[in-house]
Order: sequence, then structure tokens, then C-alpha cells
Amino acid sequence: MGIKVTFVQADGVEKTIENIAPGESMMEIGRFNGVEGILGDCGGSCACATCHVYVDAAWEARAGKPDDVETSTLDMAPDVLPNSRLCCQIRLRDELDGLRVTVAPSF
Amino acid sequence: MEQAQAASPSAGKCPFTGQGAASLEGASLKDVMAHPNAFYQTLRSEAPVYFDAKLNMWLVSRYDDIVTVLRDPQTYSDKHGYAAMYANGYFEEFKQILERDGGGFFADAIKDDPPGHTRVRRLLENAFTAHRVATLEPGITRIIVELIEKLVEKGASGQVVDGVKDFAIPLTIRVICEQLGLAEFNADKIQAWSGAVTAQISKMQDREQMLGNAAQICDLQNFIIGEMKARQDQPREDMISDIVHAKLDDGSVLEFGEAVSLIRALIIAGNDTTATAIGNLMFVLATRPEVAKALQDSVDDDRLLNRFVEELLRIEPPVRGLAKMTTREVELGGVKLPAHAHLLVLYASGNDDETQFACPRNFDINRANIGKHVAFGVGVHRCVGASLSRMEIKVAAREISRRIADIKLAIPAEQIAYLPTVATRQIERLPITIKRR
Repeated sequence: MGIKVTFVQADGVEKTIENIAPGESMMEIGRFNGVEGILGDCGGSCACATCHVYVDAAWEARAGKPDDVETSTLDMAPDVLPNSRLCCQIRLRDELDGLRVTVAPSF
Repeated sequence: MEQAQAASPSAGKCPFTGQGAASLEGASLKDVMAHPNAFYQTLRSEAPVYFDAKLNMWLVSRYDDIVTVLRDPQTYSDKHGYAAMYANGYFEEFKQILERDGGGFFADAIKDDPPGHTRVRRLLENAFTAHRVATLEPGITRIIVELIEKLVEKGASGQVVDGVKDFAIPLTIRVICEQLGLAEFNADKIQAWSGAVTAQISKMQDREQMLGNAAQICDLQNFIIGEMKARQDQPREDMISDIVHAKLDDGSVLEFGEAVSLIRALIIAGNDTTATAIGNLMFVLATRPEVAKALQDSVDDDRLLNRFVEELLRIEPPVRGLAKMTTREVELGGVKLPAHAHLLVLYASGNDDETQFACPRNFDINRANIGKHVAFGVGVHRCVGASLSRMEIKVAAREISRRIADIKLAIPAEQIAYLPTVATRQIERLPITIKRR
């Protein structure tokens, strides 16, 4: 049971993490499991843009759009696309079971 | 004597190079404190990891090496780098004074290495999220508008005002005191305490200064302990109460000394570097018309204004350099460093690295990599108050631009004095004339 998510690293390697309890952030999961490029320097405070990902098209609606604060921080990051998110702001819930994101190029 | 050449192929094309020939023979950061950019450029091109004999430290100047150091806190210890800096050779005497007169010597919990650091870091991260800071904007605006109106009133009557002492410093002190829950505070005292604490990592403190600073820090700690006691039995809705009664993620509580050190760090780090940034803002607006124009063009657009703040932090970072110490032999930037090598990581040089930032002395809010600067550091010790600092600078920039015109230096730029410290590049006094817009 639990939630399953997949990160596609910049080098193409896919990392799937299973059995995640609801409530954890996607950044914490990525950082804890050593996903390359998910640094989360600010600890999830939406202040550093070091957990930038692209949400797969199939999941965009459910993952949601960034709010104003996240949009401001995202603007500091390179290569921002319409499906960009800071994954510290994606809190995992059952609805996101299967979520798939690609890690954006780092600074 | 060999003259260093500008290494960047684009250097000749940049209107603002801030660079020039500088020789490294016997050179020390100590000798170029006010205007270090040419020295940084020479370091990056000639000796990116350079032993500064006068400081007895290795200077790390290239962006990539800086990031390497900051991303590896086990090899490059913040705790030991900081401790070796502290009190500049008078540590034992300093410690005894604090134990005798200041309630104790309390090592900085935020300057610990992981995993000890991770334990307390989380607490502060939760206090300063970008979302929480966004809710503080109206209150911060109120404080800033009030200070600017006073400044403008004085300036409009033809008086010289001080952009640092009359504006930047009182501003950041009021904001952090409000956050901490210090309704009654003496801004002059807090400024003196800030100077005394930051002097401990200045590398410029002699014994007599140490004695004066130690007395100030005792006073600061006694003040903090009094405020903590007042909240022990009757918690209030403020950050000091939160720290006194904090329960950490691992279920433990903060020890008394950890709590004192965190509140001390919040008071000092919460005002000093942001005040430096706002002082720098004033200086840049007074001396670079194209930056004043960039601000005018950005003032009504939050996105542009945020980018203006980032570029200001890149081009004039408050923090010049912070210390680390190697925990083992390691190669960095082509230099083999022994264990226990004391490093000064030059954030300001990283922000000026032409391999990362084209024409680094140009103020350009349209840089594609605008967030790449290291003004807040990188990695586990990245500034935890970054969002609050950005907000204060942003609101200050916006309200200055809307309310003040014709900011001019009242003394020649060469006479602007900087505090004697390797840790920050901080304008001491900034006499300016201003007009009401």
C-alpha cells in the first residue's frame, strides 16, 4: 500500500519510490532517496528553487499549478516551462499515487 | 612582478568590469577590503585556491569550487571553520568572560555540522517559509514607509541623511524585533551587539576590541535570558516563546544554551546582513543611474522587482566570505589541501565569476541564471532567513523608488568607509542628500 512516485533524472535514470505515506512532500521523498538534482536546500520553504521538476502531462491537473509565492521562486530557476513545479510544494496524497515528474536541469 | 591579465574573453566589452591588473605577490584580502573585485578576479584566474599568509587562510574564489565546498559539509566543516575564526586568537579568555558575566558560553547551534545541525535547522525553516513571509509584507511595508517618510522629511529640509544609520539599520532591527516579540528594544544597543557578535568572525579584532565586544555580548545574552525567562511560564504569540517551548522533529527539546544561541543568531543575523544589503542598495542607487533606472522600470511589477533584488544580491552581496575547515586531506581547485586547512569561501567572488555570469559587473535583471548567485550560500547552511531578507529589500527598494528622488552621495565615493571584517562588506556610514519624489 502507500503512494508510488517516479522521478526521471536529468541523466535519464528513473527512480521509483513506493510505499510513501500521505502528507510527505515530493522534495523530501526525492532528497531522502538520493534522486539526483533534488537538493531542497531551503528544506521545503519555497525559497531556493533547488527542487525544480516538470510534471508529466497526465498528472498536471492533479498536481495543480504553482501559487503566486511558488511562481516567484520558480522565476529564479533556469529552464522554467508551463509544467514546472517546485516539488517541495507538492504534498503527496492518495490522488497522486503514480505521480511522474522529470527533474529539471540544476543551476 | 607579474601583472595579472583579465581572463574573461568578454572582459574588454563589459562597460563595468570592476577589474584591473592586480598582482598576487604577497597579496592579501586584508589590503583590499573596500574594493576587492579586481583582487577576486586575479585570484580566480591565477590562483583559485590561494593561501593568504596575512589571514593564515586559504581563499576559495571560483564559483564551482565554492559550490563544491558548500555541498560537502562533512569534508568542509562549518563548525570547525567557524570555531577557528571565533574571537580571533583570544578564544579562551573570551569564553571565560562570557561564562563569568554573560550566563555562559553558548556555541552557535546553527553553525554545527550535520547531523547536529539538521536537528535544529528544521525549527527555523518552518519559521521563515516564503509563504509565511508573504503574509508579513503589509507590516514590513508599514515600518519601511514610516522610516522613509522621516528620512524624506529630514532630507527635504536640506539636511544630509545617513542611508545606513538612519534607514537600513533601524529598519531591519524593527522587523526582526517584531518577529521575535521584542516590543521594547533599544536599537542602538542591538546595533552595538550586532557589531560585537559579527566582529568574532571578522579576523580583524585585537585584544582590546575583544574585551569590549565580549562585554557587549554578555549584555546581549543577559537580555536574551531575561526575555526567555519572561516566557517560560507564560508563553506569548512570538518567536522567542516558540523557541523556549519548541519540540523538535525527533521529539527532543532544545537545551537552554541552544535556545540562547538561536535567539542570539536570530537577533544578529536577522538584522545585520539585510541592513548591509539595504545600505548597498542606497549606495548603488546613488552612484549608478542605470540601476536607479532599472528599479524605476521594475517598481510596479512584482516579478521584475524580485529579479532586481536578486541581481542586487549578486552584484553587491552582503556576505563577503565565511570560513570552513577541511576534516581530511582533499584536492580543491587543483590544490592539495591538508586536513584542518582553514578556508575563507569568497561568496562575493563566486557572484563575480565571469565563467558563470557574463559581464559580472553589469547590473542586468534579465539574466537567465538570475537565481544562481551564492549570496545566501548553498547547501545545508543556506541562509534560513532568505525569504525575509528578500522581502525587506524588495519593499525598501519599492518604497524608496516611489518616495525618494535624487539620491546623491554627500561625500566622495572613495571616502565611503567599510567595516573592518573579512566576513561582510558593509558600509559603515552613508551620508546622502535626497529629495521627495
